[in-house]
Amino acid sequence: MAAPAFDEAKPVEVRGLVKRYGRLIAVDGVDLTVERGDVYGFLGPNGAGKTTTLRMLLGLIRRDGGSIRLFGRDPADPLHALAGVAGFIEEPRLYPYLSGRANLQLLAALDRGRAGRAQVDEVLELVELRERAGDRVSQYSQGMRQRLGLASCLIRRPSLLLLDEPANGVDPGGIRFLRALLRRLSDEGMTILLSSHLLAEVQEVCNRVAVINNGRVVKEGALADLVAAGGHAYRLQATNLPSAADALRPLEGVQELRREDDELVFTLGSGDDTVEVTRALAAAGVGISALVREQATLEDLFFRLTGAAAPAGDREAVAA
Amino acid sequence: MSTTAIADRPIETRSGSLPDTLGAVGATYYWELRKLIAQKRTWLGLAAAAIVELVFLASIEISKVTPNDGPYADPMGQGLRHSGLALTPVVLKEVAYFGPAIIAALVSGDIVANEDGAGTLKTILVRSVRRGELLAAKALALFTYVIAALLVFAITGVVAGTIAWGFHPLANITGTRISAAHALALTFAAIAVYAVPTIAIACFGLLLSVVTRQSVAGVVGTIFYALALTGLAALPAIKSARPYVLVTQLHAWHGVFETPTGWALIWHAVWVSALYAVPPLVAAWLVFRRRDVVS
Repeated sequence: MAAPAFDEAKPVEVRGLVKRYGRLIAVDGVDLTVERGDVYGFLGPNGAGKTTTLRMLLGLIRRDGGSIRLFGRDPADPLHALAGVAGFIEEPRLYPYLSGRANLQLLAALDRGRAGRAQVDEVLELVELRERAGDRVSQYSQGMRQRLGLASCLIRRPSLLLLDEPANGVDPGGIRFLRALLRRLSDEGMTILLSSHLLAEVQEVCNRVAVINNGRVVKEGALADLVAAGGHAYRLQATNLPSAADALRPLEGVQELRREDDELVFTLGSGDDTVEVTRALAAAGVGISALVREQATLEDLFFRLTGAAAPAGDREAVAA
Repeated sequence: MSTTAIADRPIETRSGSLPDTLGAVGATYYWELRKLIAQKRTWLGLAAAAIVELVFLASIEISKVTPNDGPYADPMGQGLRHSGLALTPVVLKEVAYFGPAIIAALVSGDIVANEDGAGTLKTILVRSVRRGELLAAKALALFTYVIAALLVFAITGVVAGTIAWGFHPLANITGTRISAAHALALTFAAIAVYAVPTIAIACFGLLLSVVTRQSVAGVVGTIFYALALTGLAALPAIKSARPYVLVTQLHAWHGVFETPTGWALIWHAVWVSALYAVPPLVAAWLVFRRRDVVS
């Protein structure tokens, strides 16, 4: 069957994707659509099904149901599936006993030798590893291996990049580098699908996201729309936080009420609800030291959708 | 990497034609060899192949064995101390059963499992090479390693033996005297015949490497496989079936040193070895092409 023309096909179209391991359903009817030029964040807690989904996209594991199309091609087609596609799962694994340059030459050869020395040098330059290209990979730091992994993807000259936790084990400088590189590649027209635990980073570089939990996509769309729909978070400093919590809990517009250190944090669906908040606090005899409005973040959205626990010590549930 | 380089880039696909497939196998084979060369265990195997000859030579030199005992009792053993060319055939006979198993196991049991364990399998399987092509290249690299190890064994024996005892004619297994040059050529012909069942053992190791996904299981399992076949061949109850046991073929190289040449023995070894080699290769391919790579 002839594949659809490259120009007409979406980079990623996944419908009803299913993967089972015995009784466990790791991926349960996932739908994803990544448009050309997207930097698409794929988010979820550990074990949600992100990596399994990406493995199926890259043809490393077989699906039990549903369909996958990468530029209109099925990854089950061993010959054409990954044309124009590159990526890595969990972390790039390269040959420690070969040099960085030899690793790239090897992988380029497996791409049927289309990359010459100049192209190897070009991607090494891009990931700032040209000076260490002759060293064995066993001598590389984790961050350098991560960058070499990116180079191994770029040497393929992909139009779609699939990255699973690309910032894993990377120091802050490496994360900044990665962020800049992804932006640059996106600006150059590359479509990128990445999974990450670093929500702030995803918010920085992605224009669209999908949140997966228990094998299902629970939210998908433009990042700006999702965050805006999440309402606003409020931080309240008051004379008596337990009484303040008791006063706010019955209010209909107040959601996700929790205590963080010496503040109460909650979201309001509408800005008008602040009037109700102040009235309730006054009625309870609670003095307001500060009530600050903040835009909800991707992190807020993530915790709301996945029900994942907030980092220990960071958030303290308000006793009901 | 310019903007147009990505946005307007046509997607390159492979044709899947025979030349395309052969090209993919060839390129992958080259890099499989490069990987083998870069790994210590490869050199360990080659060194072991050389050392066994040197140890045997040294033991002959310092031993008190009388000219009619031990290795001297072998027809070609009569040439020991008289011609360096006798060393390799005699050592080959002594190590015939366990030598190839160890040499083959060291790499065959590890060649896929190692990549699985290290996670590099998932790196190479997302490139433009098909799983069958990758496995074919690995099998070819494995066979190359086996042949290289046997060549190291033979060359070390010839060189060390010649230095110790000279480059002289000797009697073959049937007692016919052959020239030194002829004996040298027959030595490498014998190695070629010996390589056939050794490669068949390696094929089983490759299957274990694919199925177990663990290097230790692959290596140890291959050695046990060879030892089990050796034990099987020794059972009196299967005496009539012994010619069809794989390890029996490890002695087919004797045909090279017979006068006239024992072609029947050699061809028998070739087809019996093929019977043992092909099923594991097919099974390895069937498993490898469909299995999930989750490491």
